[in-house]
Amino acid sequence: MKRLFREPLLAITIIIIVGALGLFVLYPIVRVFAFPSIKEYAVVLRTSRYLRAGLNSLLMVLLSASTATLFGFLFAYGLTKTTIPLKRLLKGILILPLFSPPFMVAFSYLMMFGRNGLITYGLFGVRTNILGWHGLWLSETIAFFPVAALTMESVLQSIAPSLEYAGRNLGATGFKLFRTVTLPLATPGVAGAALLVSILVLADFGNPIMISGDFSVLATEAWLRVEGWGDVAGAAVLSSVLLVPSVIIFAFQRFWVGRRSYVTITGKIATMQSEPTKWFVRWPLFAFCAAVSIMILLVYVALVLGAVVNGWGFDWSPTLRWISSVATNTGQLIRSLIFSVVAGATSALFSMTAAYLVTRKRFVLRRAVDFIAILPAALPGIFLGIGYSISFTRRPLDLYGTAAIIILSMVFWNISMGYQTGIGALKQISPSLGEAASNLGAGSMRIFREIEIPLLQGPFFSAFIVSFIRSITTLSVIVFLATSNNSVVTFTIMNLVSDGFYGKAAALTTFLLLIAFAVLGAAKLLVGKKLDLFKV
Amino acid sequence: MEGAHLTISNLWKSFGTTEVLKDISLQVPKGAFMTFLGPSGCGKTTLLRTIAGFYKADAGDITIGNRIINDVPSHQRNAIMVFQDYALFPHMTVAENIAYGLRIRNAPRSEIEQRRRRTMDYLGILGLEDRNPAQISGGQQQRVALARALVMEPEVLLLDEPLSNLDAKLRMNIRAELRQLQQRFGITTIYVTHDQSEALALSDQIAVMSAGRVIQIGSPLEIYYRPETEFVADFIGTANIIRGEVIRADSSEMTVLSDGTELLVRDVTSPPQPGAMVSLCSRPEAVEIEVDIPSEKSNCLRGEIENSIFEGSHVRYWIRVGERAMVVDDTRSGERGILRGSVYLFLPPKKLHLLSGERQE
Repeated sequence: MKRLFREPLLAITIIIIVGALGLFVLYPIVRVFAFPSIKEYAVVLRTSRYLRAGLNSLLMVLLSASTATLFGFLFAYGLTKTTIPLKRLLKGILILPLFSPPFMVAFSYLMMFGRNGLITYGLFGVRTNILGWHGLWLSETIAFFPVAALTMESVLQSIAPSLEYAGRNLGATGFKLFRTVTLPLATPGVAGAALLVSILVLADFGNPIMISGDFSVLATEAWLRVEGWGDVAGAAVLSSVLLVPSVIIFAFQRFWVGRRSYVTITGKIATMQSEPTKWFVRWPLFAFCAAVSIMILLVYVALVLGAVVNGWGFDWSPTLRWISSVATNTGQLIRSLIFSVVAGATSALFSMTAAYLVTRKRFVLRRAVDFIAILPAALPGIFLGIGYSISFTRRPLDLYGTAAIIILSMVFWNISMGYQTGIGALKQISPSLGEAASNLGAGSMRIFREIEIPLLQGPFFSAFIVSFIRSITTLSVIVFLATSNNSVVTFTIMNLVSDGFYGKAAALTTFLLLIAFAVLGAAKLLVGKKLDLFKV
Repeated sequence: MEGAHLTISNLWKSFGTTEVLKDISLQVPKGAFMTFLGPSGCGKTTLLRTIAGFYKADAGDITIGNRIINDVPSHQRNAIMVFQDYALFPHMTVAENIAYGLRIRNAPRSEIEQRRRRTMDYLGILGLEDRNPAQISGGQQQRVALARALVMEPEVLLLDEPLSNLDAKLRMNIRAELRQLQQRFGITTIYVTHDQSEALALSDQIAVMSAGRVIQIGSPLEIYYRPETEFVADFIGTANIIRGEVIRADSSEMTVLSDGTELLVRDVTSPPQPGAMVSLCSRPEAVEIEVDIPSEKSNCLRGEIENSIFEGSHVRYWIRVGERAMVVDDTRSGERGILRGSVYLFLPPKKLHLLSGERQE
């Protein structure tokens, strides 16, 4: 305590961080749980419609997480442990979905494989119905497998090649080596990736709202509760039901799988050449990766095509009317950009500061800050959105329809990303650097300014970009908070798609993507190679 | 003490309930090279970091010159440390790293430049100015870290196992250089290591530490030839410890009965009374090894060679003597090759040393 009075700036910073986490993370969570009465809980939990939604959510988690993990593993294995061609290109395509709105996959597949689908009807003349669980399964698999692939790629990379050499040296080759050495070593990583994807699938709102049709899941059901019936309490019950398994999976992933990691961290990066892969592994694996990559590219092809044809499915003549019609939405586009830049920067600054305090300073509530700062990673966007709409649209803090409520929700939904980046970076910076500076005469502020800040620049920018991308592409968080005064592009796109205005929706999504990639490119130019993105 | 530059008196430090430093007192004369030597966990690094001001002592005083520095914050002590991992700032060039401390002192630009160049010249690292720490070799990083400290002309230079990250050959070279450098600059230096050969080679004084206490302080020769305890004898070099009972003693000699053999010990400062149990120490190179029965029967043991290795300058033997195993170095392997079987060991009375600090039950 005495120390805090001696360093008032530090004390104020700690108070701000603790206060903000309490008000903008903990409080909304508590409010959601406390909002419905016991009776309302009981009613919702007895209604068969909601029970079905719950079962559907569970089914989708099992299906989509399994396929996404499988796809992700094959992709990651292909990229790290084999000699398939075009690795750089495949990797480039793989990360595209991470910079795009999650609902985009469902939207594009609707255009490609739906009733009027370019491929199903246009190419093969088949009238298919993609709306439903199978369409959702496909979309979520493609939307989320890249996350699994990137996680497992880093796991597979960190398995020391010397271990595989040792295995080979002892007589295991080919599949036997894979089964007895590589796979067991990768198992914790695979489990971690599967759980991570499970959380994403469970919380997913964008894909089901666009493609699941009558097949309702918890997230969409919660939204329909509010949209159709004005029943906020019911929505709160549903999203509470959604939160519980999400937090359990998250805790399991973090504390159980995390401890079981075999990742060997040594100073030396072993760069042994792996043996050329056998043709009967190489080519099927390449064919698979190529096919999946094409499925990703189709998303973007559909989008751009959709933006330049007159009427999707019946009138393929080119037109610029959708693109020029975007002019009427300029306000929303600018809002999306400004909100996300502000939210990204604030989130990065906030989470870096929190990470700095937690790793470098000792204060009361330090462990609580650590816990609350990573908590948002387990929160479904829909849950946080409802939490904010319950907590901050009435007195004492009435932010209804303001830019502030959207920005705040984006900031705090994303802090866990920046926070973990920050913690990782600070752990890499040896504490002896600060001591050395102190030893050479630098005071505490000077160490912060001249040593810590310059070293945290790279991670700060990474945190900014990740928060920015997640903010500008999010739908689930803002769907409960958007009004005509503060709505952003993703909200408009959702409404356009559900009303069947594919052309305009495609054009808007294309512009949204252009903005996102422009900011990303600018950041890359600014920071150069130090930008380390999506190291999940 | 006359000329003491750094004085530590009755220093205590604990982390939580673990006492890490227990009543440490020592003095380092101006310009001396003092080594804290001990196994890991003995408190030597904690002591060094307490001097640097990274830890605050629970009790006791640290004095540099005539100033008690207990409450002087780390950044105003001018006790500059070279870190084990060097702690070079990765976002600064070599030149910026070295100039950092002077820049903080707001030294004039021309002076900074001049002193930086001179120090880099001393250390033979001119030309690396614009490199990043990651772009230079381990040995060069080591020199840059040293330059960053030396350029400050510190009151006390603190070295925390600075050679442990270098390969064996480089370590030997830099070790010799370090000693030269220290003598040229005449800076009071504290060196922390667990490597006894480094300690013997570099130091004016060695403080052997164990479990938070200073066990013995002395010159390398004293520590090696006149260890006070079994721990010191064993930790520095190799020692044969022989336990026995004093049966005769006068002003500077005593006879010890061990395992049925009488051993005469000469040059003992104050021999214990007859009847006392004592420990004697004998270095492997101080034992003479004979194949034939020596003419003089006293201080002579009969043993069986169990194992041997050839180490170039000598052969090291492990010899079973009764219940005891003794280590003996023979430098005459050039003439007589490697011995086998039964041998006689002669322990010269002047080279048997009484471990006077060893308390006997």
